[in-house]
Amino acid sequence: MNVAAPAYRPIPADDVAWLGTDPVPAAPYYDPAWFELERKAVFLKSWIHVGHVCELPESGSFVRRELEFAKASLLIVRGRDGVIRAFHNVCTHRGTQLVAEAAGRQAKFSCPYHMWTFGTDGALLSAPDFEAFHLEKKDCALPQVSLAECGRMLFVNFDPQAQPLHEWLGDYAERLEAMPVARATTFSEYTYEIDANWKLTYDNFQENYHLRFIHPRSGGAAIGADNQFGYPASVGFCGPHRTQRIWSNPAPDLKPFQRQASMKGIPALMRRGLLDLPHGRDYLAFFPNIFIIGTPTQPFSHTVYPIAANRSRGVVRVYWSGEDADASESFAREYSLCQIRDIHAEDIDMIERGQRGLESGAISHIHFQHMEALCRHLFNSVNERVRDYARETGETI
Amino acid sequence: MSAQLPSGFEALEPFVATWALATTAERAAMRSASSPEQRAAFFAAAAPLLDSALAALDGRAMADLAPQERRLMDLMYSLAHVALAVEIQGPDEIKSAPLRDRLHITRSATDRRTAA
Repeated sequence: MNVAAPAYRPIPADDVAWLGTDPVPAAPYYDPAWFELERKAVFLKSWIHVGHVCELPESGSFVRRELEFAKASLLIVRGRDGVIRAFHNVCTHRGTQLVAEAAGRQAKFSCPYHMWTFGTDGALLSAPDFEAFHLEKKDCALPQVSLAECGRMLFVNFDPQAQPLHEWLGDYAERLEAMPVARATTFSEYTYEIDANWKLTYDNFQENYHLRFIHPRSGGAAIGADNQFGYPASVGFCGPHRTQRIWSNPAPDLKPFQRQASMKGIPALMRRGLLDLPHGRDYLAFFPNIFIIGTPTQPFSHTVYPIAANRSRGVVRVYWSGEDADASESFAREYSLCQIRDIHAEDIDMIERGQRGLESGAISHIHFQHMEALCRHLFNSVNERVRDYARETGETI
Repeated sequence: MSAQLPSGFEALEPFVATWALATTAERAAMRSASSPEQRAAFFAAAAPLLDSALAALDGRAMADLAPQERRLMDLMYSLAHVALAVEIQGPDEIKSAPLRDRLHITRSATDRRTAA
């Protein structure tokens, strides 16, 4: 029986009109003063993704994370009690950074300068000639930063007054827990640095309007039929977070080897029960700077860390459940990683061109059409926080 | 010269030296460093053997592959990279390579693990 492909149903402009339709000011995408306000009002007050539980399998497992927006180096450690905590990677004696390794496993952490030694729970265990200080060890623990987990994803928050992570994620916490990332035991990763504002970078991945122009070869499967821009099937919003459902192309334009390669991972995914998870076509964006894709053959997260007003770092992780079961699954994982990396590579140059154009000051405003609603929603969410912060602190915008 | 690959895959012997690489980052780098002719020749020889190679290697844990089998697997991983260059990027591969090289592969699930 031939079943006619369901027609693409465009999302009515009225559905997202509540976000506004006005031009958006350009300065927040390059102005260092605005960036400084964002750093304080957004990044130091939001839950920020820093890793995955699978990176810390045993007591003493640690990763070091550099977060430029906080001028911080964090040491994220699984303690002997099994609890994962985040500490400033800073010796409480005189501030020396404790750990230089990016990751590893240690029972304790000794400062190379004067050998102050801390446990996996951050407590000061020993310090040479400690009696010569007028101190008690209990007052010398590593400074801690709030860390919480949802869907095996780890987030930190520098604001001691921050609402709990699950409350912050709202209705989307449950969705995150149902995504492949929540079952992942390993991942592949690539990172990049880009001469562009974090929002400009992130926005590239929030709209499909550019797909047919920037990814005519690599992104061919995402566009076609009666949806030539590959617009999403639906969009949704939850506080500062947002989602879109990726349109299912009824007749994706796949090349022969591409089709063959894409099928290689399917049997293993079926065996693992990962093919029919509820959010297999969903994109979940958590404010401010991470989005997660539920596609079973290519489940990935993309986090854009701000470095400066016009500099960012992207971290893309493709998540897998279980070690490679066999050659077919392993091959499929390699192809999947390479495929998404090819697509992202095509975006980098265009984003930097956008940054250079904006920094010239030639245009005072940028424009979002209604199918760029997610970009507008990000701007609105940032703008609201920056303005509230400026009002509370008396800083000028 | 003794066979470097399992029997049945002799056609891929000339590609072992260039393309049987241990990590995803090394394969990605070779994709960028190779010539269009090298990629085309490897793709033409290896793509028709994907099904039979994986069928020959499936059925056991990756850690249990013998050295000849491991080499064949590494060739199939490289084929994943090269297929994207030849089949998808085509004439755009040359301009996409320097952009792609900016995305540094820092970790891969398929990287050969050293014994604990």
